[in-house]
Amino acid sequence: MTFAHPLMLLGMSAALIPLLVHLFDRRRPRHVPFAALSFVLKSQRRTASRLRLKRLLLYALRTLILLAVPFALARPEFSRASTATVSKGLAATAVVIDTSLAMRWRGGRSLFEEAKEEARSAIRELSPEEPATLVPCTASPAAVTPLVFDRARLVSAVDDVRPGYGVGDLNRCLELAAHVLDESPLPDRRLVVVSAFTLGALRLDAEPPVSVGPKGEKLKPQVVLRDVTRGHPLANRAIIDARAEPAPQLGPRAWQFTFTIRNFSNEAGRDVELKLLVNGEVVAKGFVDLAPQGTAQKTLAHRFSQGGTVLVTGALSPDALTEDDERSLVLAVPRQLTALVVNGAPSIQKHKDEAFFVDAALSAPGSPVRSVVRDAEAARRETLSAYDEVFLLNVEAPPADQVRALSEFVEAGGGLFISLGDRVDPEGWNETGLLPRRLRVVKTAVEPSQPDAATRAARLQQVALSHPIFSPFTGRAREGLLSTRFYRYGLFEGDAPGSASEVLGTMDDGAPVFVTARRGKGRVLVYGSTVNRDWSDLPIRTAFLPLAQRIAAWLSGTLDEREEVHARVGDLVTLDRSATSARAPSGAEVPLTAVPQTALVSGGPLPEPGRYLVVDAKGQTLEPLSFVATLDPAASDLSHHEPEALTGWFGEDVVKAGGESGSDRRTPAWTWLLLTAVVAFFFEGLLLRK
Amino acid sequence: MPLLDAQTLSHLTGVKVRARAIVEGVLSGLHKSPHQGQSVEFAEHKEYAPGDELKHLDWKAYGKFDRYYVKRYEHETNLRATMVVDTSGSMGFGTTGLSKLDVAKVLAATLSHLLLRQQDGAGIALVAAGRHKEVPARATATHLQVLLDELEVATAHGQTDLASVADRLAENLPRRSLVCVFSDFFDERADALKRLVALRARKHDVAIFHLVDPAELTFPYDDPTLFLSLEDDQRVEVNPREIRESYLEEFGRFLEDSRTVCTNADCDYLRVSTDEPLDGVLLRFLGSRGGRP
Repeated sequence: MTFAHPLMLLGMSAALIPLLVHLFDRRRPRHVPFAALSFVLKSQRRTASRLRLKRLLLYALRTLILLAVPFALARPEFSRASTATVSKGLAATAVVIDTSLAMRWRGGRSLFEEAKEEARSAIRELSPEEPATLVPCTASPAAVTPLVFDRARLVSAVDDVRPGYGVGDLNRCLELAAHVLDESPLPDRRLVVVSAFTLGALRLDAEPPVSVGPKGEKLKPQVVLRDVTRGHPLANRAIIDARAEPAPQLGPRAWQFTFTIRNFSNEAGRDVELKLLVNGEVVAKGFVDLAPQGTAQKTLAHRFSQGGTVLVTGALSPDALTEDDERSLVLAVPRQLTALVVNGAPSIQKHKDEAFFVDAALSAPGSPVRSVVRDAEAARRETLSAYDEVFLLNVEAPPADQVRALSEFVEAGGGLFISLGDRVDPEGWNETGLLPRRLRVVKTAVEPSQPDAATRAARLQQVALSHPIFSPFTGRAREGLLSTRFYRYGLFEGDAPGSASEVLGTMDDGAPVFVTARRGKGRVLVYGSTVNRDWSDLPIRTAFLPLAQRIAAWLSGTLDEREEVHARVGDLVTLDRSATSARAPSGAEVPLTAVPQTALVSGGPLPEPGRYLVVDAKGQTLEPLSFVATLDPAASDLSHHEPEALTGWFGEDVVKAGGESGSDRRTPAWTWLLLTAVVAFFFEGLLLRK
Repeated sequence: MPLLDAQTLSHLTGVKVRARAIVEGVLSGLHKSPHQGQSVEFAEHKEYAPGDELKHLDWKAYGKFDRYYVKRYEHETNLRATMVVDTSGSMGFGTTGLSKLDVAKVLAATLSHLLLRQQDGAGIALVAAGRHKEVPARATATHLQVLLDELEVATAHGQTDLASVADRLAENLPRRSLVCVFSDFFDERADALKRLVALRARKHDVAIFHLVDPAELTFPYDDPTLFLSLEDDQRVEVNPREIRESYLEEFGRFLEDSRTVCTNADCDYLRVSTDEPLDGVLLRFLGSRGGRP
């Protein structure tokens, strides 16, 4: 017999109370002179035997109640497992203990605690002549320790085993365990498997484990199945996916988060609560109905008051497996940007105005950019440090003092965008030194007024889709961008020695049209055409608005502040080289090592789910690089094999008491004890009323 | 006039005062009765025969019928009554302000008062085991005071011994006496009551006043209690709740048996609870006897 809460057994000492009351209760009775004493005596004699029996029954019932209640609270279970590990001959034994996420399922006590208890029990029941080993079964099982006779060491190893977060590979673990048993000279081999036997952990389409006997013959080891689920279904629901999308319709810095929730049980879930937490604080709640074995999606939105890196978590109301009831993601909320748009060619006709399209794109709803439009003269009086970036649109080459101001602005981290136009003087601009590449001349592909201008116009040949600016332009968006017509565009010289410019897009004749370069902490991007319709139809294309906003974000450095890292528990993670280690939610360090010939570092496997903080060489936390490790949704599926199926797979001839090791092997007794206490309480009341 | 309950009587001091209060109540009740008492009452006419008293000739009848008739009367001799009051220890028990002995003394005194008032003789016998105090019946007016004095000083103690009292009365009482017994009949000898009512066979008129306390009828105790005997050193510790049912059954049977014994012997039997109005008790008694003691 085993107890879930053995400390409760101390409460059974209360059963002594009725006896102590009987022995030590010496209350003085009231003295009453009474005339009809003979009748009292007669009545006492008449009822004496009945009263004695009644008192005895009361004493017995009260003692029974005080024994049964604490005994029931200790959650006793009758175990018939001892027969399961007893074999006729000596056998080398491997105890395989499953450490899958499923083992964290908790119905009072966790399955893993019960599994450890089972493993200890199996070890205790071994004969002293039987060598044994322990095989903790993880998703990537490591080498198995050799067979030993030291029981204390084995029990200590059981104590040290911790549950994991993935799906244990039981097939591989059994194979490794069977292989270790090959070393034993004993004629018999035995596998004690302590597991929940989930479908994901054990594949029955694989071959069952086989060992090699002392003479080299193949042996099917005896198998003792210790199913910690007792055959009961394990209900579970989990958030298996979380996505974040901007929600500009809800206002600036508004995001919507879509959580996919899976019900892995056969019972429907109604009004299951889903909370949205930002940095641990609940900001929204919702309810979702889940069909049996069904999947549902729920979207919750939140508008952030300011930019920055935040941890967003979706949390279901907890069930028996709490680890998969939450799913988090690290979100870089764009900060508010301020752009100075310098209009080099103002026009009262909006479509001819140089800044009209750029201003409209940057000021669109949901845009993180606030633009301030000035003409070239007025812009000279602006303090550039008040802006995150400057857009110079078809502006003549600035004078020396403004060049100096722009250079300092960019060196200090500001972004500079330069677009061409008929007012741009290439030579003057080349003198400023602000351009990533020197500008030569302006090439006219076709005059826009000509009838066949649409077909003869130049087009983009290719764009750097790996670059943050162009990464969203895939598929049809890319086609739309590449079909932009260019009638006129600037031609740049080749990259000067020592300069590190980068071409992000070229025309069909190979001429660069998007050229960038770093200047100190800042960035410069030159667009080789106009941002109105004079030289190109880009401003009226659907790609223009996202392109303008992403250029603005990239120039300010917010676009590439973080690259979203998708990592699962047990995976390796790859990060920017500036990181030296990652710190798990529990505080455990995950060292990162440089990946040869790249600017990246890698480390892992990630030990647990949750947010990992990334630390640089100086010990500083790199907030933007923090990432979340998620659970494999397959680990949340707790469907398990039937005992008959397991017995059939291992072979009925080798599964010792395999049928009994399932649901029937342990019989919980506490419900019957509580029922006994209630019945005793009822009869005690009846006797008192008599 | 309202009847006097035990609570009221308990505030009156002394048997004499209590008896007088009861007497007034009883007489007031009797005046309303159609059976107002006369010592000599006409019974029937009888045709004259030689030897009959001439003074009883009914001359009016002679005038009507021209024949001689003699009036005959229901002639009653002077009644001699003895009030037997049990003074054993159990009679001292009382939970209503008056003990059973107090009630017995008041009833005996009141009856004596009524008897002497109509020139009948009254005496008392105060009895307990080993004690027997007897005042013979007399019909003098001053005899009441003697009886009252004796009743006044009577106290309850000792064991009950009604059987020997019955024997003594059988030997000493003149024929056709009224014997009123006031007791709770908690006598160890089971035939004590039978021997008392056996006086009826000797032509005595026997009236049994069975006194009970309300606590004896209801047994109103709950907590574990040590009951002490009022007649000896006996004591019993019981949980009253556990034996109440049995006790009430036993005591009820005892009362019923007592009534049956008296009824079978043609004796008057009155169960008197010490909390009921005593003038009501006496009116009930006198009413059953045609208004006379």
